[in-house]
Amino acid sequence: MRVLSISDDGLALCIPDEDSGSEPADEPVEVQIDLVSPVMPGDELLVHAGVALLRLGGGSVRSEAVA
Amino acid sequence: MKFVDEYRNADLGRALSAQIRAIVEPGRQYKVMEVCGGHTHTIYKYGVDDLLPENVELVHGPGCPVCVIPMGRVDDGIAVAKVPGVIFTCFGDMMRVPGSLGTLLEAKAAGADVRMVYSPLDALRIAKQNPDRDVVFFAIGFETTAPSTALTLMRAKAEGVRNFFCFCNHVTIVPPLRALLESPDLRLDGFIGPGHVSTVVGALPFEFIPKDYGKPVAISGFEPLDLLQSVYMVLLQLAEGRCEVENQYARVVPYGGNERALQVISEVFELRPHFEWRGLGFISHSGLKLSRAYAAFDAELRYEVPGIRVADPKACQCGEVLKGVIKPWECKVFGTACTPETPIGTCMVSSEGACAAYYNYGRFARERVVA
Repeated sequence: MRVLSISDDGLALCIPDEDSGSEPADEPVEVQIDLVSPVMPGDELLVHAGVALLRLGGGSVRSEAVA
Repeated sequence: MKFVDEYRNADLGRALSAQIRAIVEPGRQYKVMEVCGGHTHTIYKYGVDDLLPENVELVHGPGCPVCVIPMGRVDDGIAVAKVPGVIFTCFGDMMRVPGSLGTLLEAKAAGADVRMVYSPLDALRIAKQNPDRDVVFFAIGFETTAPSTALTLMRAKAEGVRNFFCFCNHVTIVPPLRALLESPDLRLDGFIGPGHVSTVVGALPFEFIPKDYGKPVAISGFEPLDLLQSVYMVLLQLAEGRCEVENQYARVVPYGGNERALQVISEVFELRPHFEWRGLGFISHSGLKLSRAYAAFDAELRYEVPGIRVADPKACQCGEVLKGVIKPWECKVFGTACTPETPIGTCMVSSEGACAAYYNYGRFARERVVA
């Protein structure tokens, strides 16, 4: 999800990415960001059950095996 | 689309498929368990198994949070939902899971105030909007979802909300995996580790699988190329005689997990001595309950909960499906009496259930199209 704004009570208003399968689709939702703060508008977050678990990097991503 | 398109490239998929064929031993049968229900859905949605050699079988594990909830706990939830004045909240999937006395959806039709929410925070919002009523959240899920419940309870405590309660059914992933590895029913060669759980717990908790049981693990992402690469990594370990935890989903999963998430879980929850799993029975230290510091929010202390163990319907074989002993299409009622519209078992209800994946993507029989 992409962060639109941050509220005074520490919640982020986020919009799901297209094709993310998130519900409700295309509606901004409030997300708890305690686990990944600080968060800025425009950041991309991995969100599960209303909580951001990870702030995704802005650059390209790749898989790598780490033994 | 970033994070998506590069993991759905058909040419790369075919190349990975060829690499997998090059390293498997002809005549050897391989069984690799994907732990997470999200992986099961990717496999059948994109036909990942059709890109594998015939002697590589993917076995579906117990990583669907709705599927592992036993019928007795559904009955307990319905009993709480029927308490006059209670607003009972749960995720949408849970509303359709049958207990022995029906579903939460049926309880709602009969007059109980049952509401679907997308997150625990939604339930807390309902509690703040209805200060004269008790609001109960039916908490389910593995370590992926537990931080959400924990943070919401911390928020409720900080804000002095006194009418919000949690019926806690959170579970942990390692004990059932150990139970499966100890099971004589199943011979597995390796594991596709759960990506989202690992975002929270990291790779470290899975080290016992190679160390104690000699099986390779590759923690995987959820796109088709993620899964193909993870299967390749497990098979390559086997081919090279290695046995370790590898992290294919390194773009998301840190080796040590999310330290803050683990902190909030340990602050709000504590391990139950044992917890019942559908199909797997009681497993020690596999379930979470609210810690003493959060006892005021514990629905099991607030209400009379029947706590009666209920056997699954005889026709339903979700237990065997969850243990990977049978495939969904081998269940007697799959696709006939049990469908997504009229589910008998949890595996057909949940969007992450193996039976729902097979049904929705047309896998009604043994045949598979090997490329």
